[in-house]
Amino acid sequence: MSMLKVNNLSCGYGDKKIISGVSFSVEQGDFVGILGPNGAGKTTLFRAATGIIPPWEGEVFYKDANILNIPRRKFAKEVAVIPQLVETPFDFTVDEFVFLGRFPHLSRFQAAGAVDQEAVLKAMQLTDTIDLRQRKIFELSGGERQRVLLAQGFAQSPRFLFLDEPTAHLDIAHQVAVMDILDNLNRKHGLTVVIILHDLNLASEYCKRLILLDNGKIFREGVSDDILTYQNIEKVYKTAVVVEKNPVSGKPYLLLVSEKELKKSEKRIKNN
Amino acid sequence: MNNKKIALFLILSGIFVCGIAFAVMLGGSRLSITDIFYALMHPKVESQAATIIWQLRIPRVVMGLLVGSGLACCGVVFQAVLRNSLAEPYTLGVANGAALGAITAIILNLTGICIAGFSFLGSLITIFLVYAIASRKRFSNTTLILGGVTLGFLYSSVILLLFALAKKEGVHSAILWLMGDLSYTRPHMIIITASFVLSGVAVLIFFARDLDIICLGDQKARHLGLNVVFIKSILFLVSSVITGVCVSFVGIIGFVGLIIPHICRFLFGVNHRLLLITSAILGAAFLIICDTMARFIARPLELPVGVITGIFGGLFFLGLLLKSKKWEIF
Repeated sequence: MSMLKVNNLSCGYGDKKIISGVSFSVEQGDFVGILGPNGAGKTTLFRAATGIIPPWEGEVFYKDANILNIPRRKFAKEVAVIPQLVETPFDFTVDEFVFLGRFPHLSRFQAAGAVDQEAVLKAMQLTDTIDLRQRKIFELSGGERQRVLLAQGFAQSPRFLFLDEPTAHLDIAHQVAVMDILDNLNRKHGLTVVIILHDLNLASEYCKRLILLDNGKIFREGVSDDILTYQNIEKVYKTAVVVEKNPVSGKPYLLLVSEKELKKSEKRIKNN
Repeated sequence: MNNKKIALFLILSGIFVCGIAFAVMLGGSRLSITDIFYALMHPKVESQAATIIWQLRIPRVVMGLLVGSGLACCGVVFQAVLRNSLAEPYTLGVANGAALGAITAIILNLTGICIAGFSFLGSLITIFLVYAIASRKRFSNTTLILGGVTLGFLYSSVILLLFALAKKEGVHSAILWLMGDLSYTRPHMIIITASFVLSGVAVLIFFARDLDIICLGDQKARHLGLNVVFIKSILFLVSSVITGVCVSFVGIIGFVGLIIPHICRFLFGVNHRLLLITSAILGAAFLIICDTMARFIARPLELPVGVITGIFGGLFFLGLLLKSKKWEIF
């Protein structure tokens, strides 16, 4: 039984179709990266796959149940969704904010018990946010905010994690730190991860499988060696790249080339 | 609650109790403390003091407590649901609807309970219209705010039109109504207001944890398992009806619903159960203290309490505006 199955999905906003005929499935313990240029439909696919917007055609199944028929609360007990941003006008403390992740597990008048405290503590340990507990969220730096947002997701005790560009606002050290946390949870605890990434090198290094979107459709799907070839990338992103192998991990990585240098090198090739 | 919050809560309760004591003791007519205590202890004995205390001051204080706590709690809810710290119970046009109803009644020369009835009808029609507009767009905040604010403007224009057409005396009493006043409190008003405010606030506290989640935005709230459209519609209806009842009986008393939630959030954090309870207490205390000042400052002349809360609230609001960080993106 696959955890998530997207079946011939089409959807969009208003009368503008963004996603058309997308199918893929995610198995227990998978670590899937969703890639694609701006406007390829990554976030829209993400919204439809988490039941926020209804499909125009096709279905999304979570553990064989149509996602539209699963009560939101039941879904939230197993699946945590971490968006790029959470906007709130109120200055929560980090403690209060992370604790909100326990919401699906608590009935209306149930006070937080030992299980909840433990889940929150563990989420904060994982994301290294324990020291921030008493701070207000408006005071935090971009990297701290992102980690707190992750902690809230982990406090949900999810079996399945959706993330929309969790590394977008982070420096390289924090990018690696966040991805390492996800990788650890994936390998040691069997957490299933579906993650939207802009950074193709991070995706290559961490994801077991990649889905490359182009113009609302799946362009290619597979392991990084098959997806991150210069032919695929140049076709989808319409930008010249050089693909090399990472000497440590053996995974492919991409180098960008400026237009100027590209022309120079073309000239050199002609002259020879 | 940590020790600091418990201490703050005790101070708050102290202000509440002192507020009630002051409100009963001070007023337009000077009564000695012994007279007041005697009247309080012997409600059946007829005296001037007993009449003033039991028929004028206590009903007025009780009404002030109910309206103050109701408006403050509605303010908490509107700010959370609209995710805007500048929202208040009147933002979505409920008060303008009530005002239009009341002013229609006043200009038609109706009196007493008819004004309140017309006013409540006006607020109910507004609530229904805003609900109908918002429910077409899944209760998105933009639709709620634009729908409510537009209706509010529409009503204000109709009110001005009525003023232009009406006779002088009508306009004067209508303006007095608009300023908000607790002095016409009658027992039946207290019973009606109490039943709406107390049961309404109980419902709001029942949904306190949902309010915490709603602050994170519709999408994140749904991802955390909240049925956003249902919860928002319930919270909107309950808090609007509370607001409608309060406005119908005492007119438009501004700023209680705006500043009290801010003060309580500053003191007690963003936990909405605590926020609703403390806002109810502080809102009640604030309104009766303002009302006591309204009776006391210029005695024997009595100022409308809405003017006092407006001046206090206005000053606070300006301070907030100067100090507030811009809308933060998390």
